[in-house]
Amino acid sequence: MENVDFARLQMAFTLGFHIIFACIGMVMPFFMVVSHKKWLNTRNPLYLELTKAWQKGVAIFFVTGAVSGTALSFELGMLWPEFMKHAGPIIGMPFSLEGAAFFVEAIALGFYLYGWDKLPEKFHWFTGIIIGLSGVASGILVVSANGWMNAPSGFDYINGEFTNIDPVQAFLNPAWFTQALHMTLAAFVATSFAVAGVHAYQIYKGRRIELHKKAFKIAIVFGAVAAILQPISGDLSAKDIAKRQPVKLAAMEAHYETQKGAPLFIGGIVNEKEKEVNYKIEIPGALSFLAFGDFDAEVKGLNAFPQDELPPVAIVHYAFQIMVGLGTLLMLSGLFYFLSTRKKHWQSKKKYWLFFTFLAPLGFIALEAGWVVTEVGRQPWIIHKIMRTKDAVTPMPGMEFSFYMYVLVYVTLAITVTWLMRRQIKVLNASKY
Amino acid sequence: MLYIVLFFTFFSFFLYVLLGGADFGAGIIELFASPKDKETARNISYRVLGPVWEVNHIWLIILIVILWVAFPGYFNVIMIYLHLPFVLILLGITLRGVAFIFRHYDAVVDRSQVLYNWMFRISSFITPIFLGMSFGALIGGEIIITEDYAGYSFFEIFIDPWLNYFTLLVGLFYATLCAFMASTLLIGETQGEARKMFSRKSANYTLLLVIIGLILVAYGYFTEVEFILDFITNPVSIGAIVLSAILLIPLWKSIRKQNRIWSRWLAGIQVVLVLFAAIYAHFPYIIITSEKELSLLEGVAPDEVISNLAIMLIIGGAVILPGLFHLMRSFNMIKILEKEKEEMKP
Ligand code: HDD
Ligand code: HEM
Ligand code: HEM
Repeated sequence: MENVDFARLQMAFTLGFHIIFACIGMVMPFFMVVSHKKWLNTRNPLYLELTKAWQKGVAIFFVTGAVSGTALSFELGMLWPEFMKHAGPIIGMPFSLEGAAFFVEAIALGFYLYGWDKLPEKFHWFTGIIIGLSGVASGILVVSANGWMNAPSGFDYINGEFTNIDPVQAFLNPAWFTQALHMTLAAFVATSFAVAGVHAYQIYKGRRIELHKKAFKIAIVFGAVAAILQPISGDLSAKDIAKRQPVKLAAMEAHYETQKGAPLFIGGIVNEKEKEVNYKIEIPGALSFLAFGDFDAEVKGLNAFPQDELPPVAIVHYAFQIMVGLGTLLMLSGLFYFLSTRKKHWQSKKKYWLFFTFLAPLGFIALEAGWVVTEVGRQPWIIHKIMRTKDAVTPMPGMEFSFYMYVLVYVTLAITVTWLMRRQIKVLNASKY
Repeated sequence: MLYIVLFFTFFSFFLYVLLGGADFGAGIIELFASPKDKETARNISYRVLGPVWEVNHIWLIILIVILWVAFPGYFNVIMIYLHLPFVLILLGITLRGVAFIFRHYDAVVDRSQVLYNWMFRISSFITPIFLGMSFGALIGGEIIITEDYAGYSFFEIFIDPWLNYFTLLVGLFYATLCAFMASTLLIGETQGEARKMFSRKSANYTLLLVIIGLILVAYGYFTEVEFILDFITNPVSIGAIVLSAILLIPLWKSIRKQNRIWSRWLAGIQVVLVLFAAIYAHFPYIIITSEKELSLLEGVAPDEVISNLAIMLIIGGAVILPGLFHLMRSFNMIKILEKEKEEMKP
């Protein structure tokens, strides 16, 4: 592997790490304020206990998100100096707004964590809302910057120079809305199912059932709603890509031959050398319909594009299958949850809780897979059709060491945070009310 | 518009140096304190810096974002040639941040606290040293900007410029500065024994700072580091330094009297004066390489970008500064008479 490959791996790894913490940091505050509100309304001490336990979670995840994010803002420049030199000014607007959003979030967090019994109750609760809202805002803003890499706009590209820069147009690039919508929903899906799963497991184990049921309910309602909306938004994204990045669409579907009434492949093993997909299930016309809303529309295949502009097909295809498969499963689970609120006796079955425990990691797996689709599907471009990834990388050799170091540090961190969370739950279970 | 952006650039730079520095300093004090004082320092830094420490570090992010948006050419050079010290800084920031939060939010208080504490203290000390070294590298005149990477060894391009005596001195200087700021800040936040301890520390660190500062200038002078030469021949810089030296006298007095307000202001003013003196002599040429001086304004972003950024910064500032002010006021004013135990649980 070359330097650029290690730089890409490092970027992928650190982003994949950050996104987990960022999502939890975005969504947990909402659970926290709901529980907090219930405490204010009912004065049931269980809600207070839950709020305080979740608040510790928010604090731990916030900091891990913040330090990994700080590392990222340096990394963009350290790994891709050529990219940042040209793209930095163009996509500066979402990033500078994001800086403001972080500030608001950190300030609100300061108030919230240290404000118990010191601030007026209502105001204190309200600062929790601000944490959540500013977290979502920062998520949307960075995704808009990523959207620009997929759908560069807001400048003229003449003889290798970027001129006539319009930061507002770059910010509101054609990809930002579908991506931001899909990402925000994904954050809710992934975090909610994960949190709900953790509490479901405690119920399954029969520990402090009353408390954990309250927690489960708050989390799963967010998750179920988002999971039901997710495929709709995913369909919007796919239609958008069909117009904007047809190569990516073709790679997602491992669709080699241009054809009318293109079939949708489910599963299948991609053979990149022979340019074919074996052992797949075909649904005739479905791809054309998904991409253009018309069963007969023509969908361009991979063979119709210059061969040096193709992304790695197999990875993108598999990742897409994983995302859509899990998305469907989670949507059905969301519906199942709402159904189960009508059929109370289901909830007394142990299997019910085991089922939700099993769902816990799936949202995050779908989310990582989705990012692989977006990012690997954009290759070989760092800026779609403008700049190649290999032309953007740092001239400094030895990126493999940097990559290994990050893996070591982040894996250690991840293990520690998981261990800390287990301790939080143990303490929560051990305390007696 | 460019002036607004420049204003915010230096504003966030100064604030990071001051606030982030005080934050690092609290850890440094803990590292070098006696076991009994360590405990005091730990609890106090949690109470005083806890609500704001996260905010303090966002100034660094703001600074980085402004640099890459408005001064991409300049940012590009830093990011390529100072890659390694930045990796170390990031490592330090990461370990420090998580250690801080772990030691205060771990649900179980047991032996792992020892690990968190040492992780926090050591990274608090190391990180500002590397920050100082990076700054030292920018002004040290050893950076080689080239397209011909094969013509030089890895060491010449990526290591020597930031790893030499000069940069080490700058690093130590900054770390001492951090400890000085933290101890001076904390005088005002404590009472009785603890306050005496911080007053003592503050006086010691001031002395140490002056000594290292003198060594730094002397070393720079004798090895002909251009930045230092220009610095000591520039009348405005000299004036600022002399002023800050004169201010040492009232500072020491107020530290001895344990006057919280005055010692804080004086310390802040001094640090700003020293930084100002250092940067003024060379502005806007803040990268000095082996060949030439590189201006901050070289390759500045186009006007549309600068105006957009300036507007964003003004809006952001209008939202943030009142909130921040309110946050600091809400918590710094809270008296410390609550029991230790209260402080341990958030
Ligand atoms: C919980 C996570 C999750 C779930 C259940 C889904 N997705 Fe997704 N998807 C993401 C999480 C995600 C993501 C990680 O958030 C991505 C990466 C970039 C983005 O904007 O969202 C993404 C990207 C992404 C893209 C590429 C967007 C681009 O490159 O601009 C498409 C076409 C879809 N998704 C489509 C779907 C469909 C049809 C789903 C149907 C079930 C689906 N996703 C479920
Ligand atoms: C947090 C969620 C994200 C994940 C999991 C993610 C994942 C990835 C992956 C897998 C790659 C490697 C692609 C390859 O080289 O094959 C990559 C590259 C990259 N990503 Fe992302 N990405 C995320 C968000 C973003 C955002 C928001 C931005 C920018 C603002 C961004 C900027 C980049 C850059 C600059 C590269 C390197 C160039 C390239 O390989 O094209 N990413 N990311
Ligand atoms: C899709 C991708 C991303 C999403 C959704 C996202 C979202 C977030 C969120 C919600 C936070 C707040 C931290 C928390 O509450 O835990 C955060 C922190 C941060 N992110 Fe990301 N981020 C993404 C990618 C990036 C990238 C590419 C960068 C680098 C340029 C970045 C830089 C940062 C920084 C600097 C912080 C720390 C801010 C602080 O101190 O609060 N993020 N991110």
